[in-house]
Amino acid sequence: MKDGSLIKESWNMVVTYATAAILVFVLTFHLLLHSPLTGKAFDATLSFGYATGNLTYYQVIFGFLLFAAVIHGFNGIRSIAIEWLHPERRTWLLNMIVFVLMAFFLAVGFVTLIVVG
Amino acid sequence: MDRIILKITRSEGKHVSYEVKYRKGMTVLDALTEVRERQDSSLGYRHSCRMGICGSCGMTIEGLPMLACQTQVSSLNKETIRIEPLHNMAVIRDLVVDILPFFDLHHSVRPYLMRNNVNERDHSDREYRVLAKEVEKFLQFDYCIMCGLCYAACPTVALDPFYAGPQAIAQAYRYMADPRDEGWGKRVDLLDTSHGVWRCHMAGACSFVCPKDVDPAKAIQLARMEVLKKRVLRKRGKEGSKLVTTPMAGVAKEGVKPPPFDFGGAKE
Amino acid sequence: MKRDRRFKSGLVSSLNPTRYNLERWSYTIHRATGVILVGYLMAHIFETFQLGAGSTAWANTMAALHSLGPLELVGLWVVAGSALYHGGNGIRLVLNEAFGKFMGKPILPVYPFSPTSLGKNQKIAVWALTGVVLAIWMWAGAYLLAGVGVI
Repeated sequence: MKDGSLIKESWNMVVTYATAAILVFVLTFHLLLHSPLTGKAFDATLSFGYATGNLTYYQVIFGFLLFAAVIHGFNGIRSIAIEWLHPERRTWLLNMIVFVLMAFFLAVGFVTLIVVG
Repeated sequence: MDRIILKITRSEGKHVSYEVKYRKGMTVLDALTEVRERQDSSLGYRHSCRMGICGSCGMTIEGLPMLACQTQVSSLNKETIRIEPLHNMAVIRDLVVDILPFFDLHHSVRPYLMRNNVNERDHSDREYRVLAKEVEKFLQFDYCIMCGLCYAACPTVALDPFYAGPQAIAQAYRYMADPRDEGWGKRVDLLDTSHGVWRCHMAGACSFVCPKDVDPAKAIQLARMEVLKKRVLRKRGKEGSKLVTTPMAGVAKEGVKPPPFDFGGAKE
Repeated sequence: MKRDRRFKSGLVSSLNPTRYNLERWSYTIHRATGVILVGYLMAHIFETFQLGAGSTAWANTMAALHSLGPLELVGLWVVAGSALYHGGNGIRLVLNEAFGKFMGKPILPVYPFSPTSLGKNQKIAVWALTGVVLAIWMWAGAYLLAGVGVI
């Protein structure tokens, strides 16, 4: 695009809306795994065995959670940055930085899922 | 109360207080005029119609953008009234702000009917009837008086000077909804940018302060849906309008047949 | 960054909702909770990375967090509240923005003016989600901070 972005802003927002919808479900699931509904005290849900067990059994769900949370979160930061910094000719640089940050955190998260899973 | 104090933010941020005798039915504009006529003739502010139709007297009164001529002093319930220039605009002097960037943004969305056939303007002997139910879809947004209050209230405008702003986007939608307009696709492209319709976050401050109930927040969300229709649903144009051409009275010459219903595109 | 010479513009003015409508307040809270959540997300990804490094690394991470004392659980409670509000308000915003819900139809303005986009339906949506979010947040607080409610 003229401002250096790879896709139209409307598609960016569709991605934001889609990841928001995914997050509502998968994040609720994640929070319920650390809720009174498990029958455990909160500290017990942070034990190594319980945490790794969840990541192993629900690997796909946690994969969706990671993907949706990182994309949605950093898209939001990008939106704030565009408004606050409004880089006319350097929007491509802002988009690049956000993209790199997204890729980095996705990589760290997926490595965790693969190693533990 | 028989006296009020106007605490005005004048040029270079200095605050000056003026005491004015209150009379029933006094508006903030009346109070400012009292100050200028009897106390300080150097006070600068814009005003014109004094009846809420020109949009000139927009200013920040007690922290909210308002039209000074439409704001009764009694409605503020305060003896000391803070008056500042409109937010998000550069100050020229005292309460006079640079409104040109706001007008430029309005101009950038092409706030006029766009037609494909250029012959119509020069050789028009027919008119397009717009049905009442079609007028309902955009008439509300036509009431805009370009006062700039929505622009001053918008939190995104406060951050981003390149954001189109609620007024411009509302006017873009006004024309998108007009069945006579053939620029729907072009306007979608104008709005679908990184400083366009997607920078609105539905804070609703624009609709909250609008003195004419234009409800720009509603227009922006409707404009967003039009953009999504083009991009996601791949619609090629807005739903067909039932335009009816009727010959204009007194234009048809004797012995001259009226042109066919469809102008058939530009013949240049 | 060019210096903004417009009057009372900028980050503070953008985030300051005083004197404005309910939806402007929810915009500010939505933005603040979003930033909190991204900050927490980054830390959380690094924290869970320790799971892959083994039980000793995980135990050290937990010990470091527990050393914060009550701040740890209070912080988690704030994050939980942020997630609840941001998610709930986000659902309302998606309905507003992508589907035009709660906005009302274009009408002929009649004095005294009352914009339909900020009308009864919108207010009910905002207060309903705020109520639900607060209720779940209190439940989460009771569980996190007092261990109450284990089923």
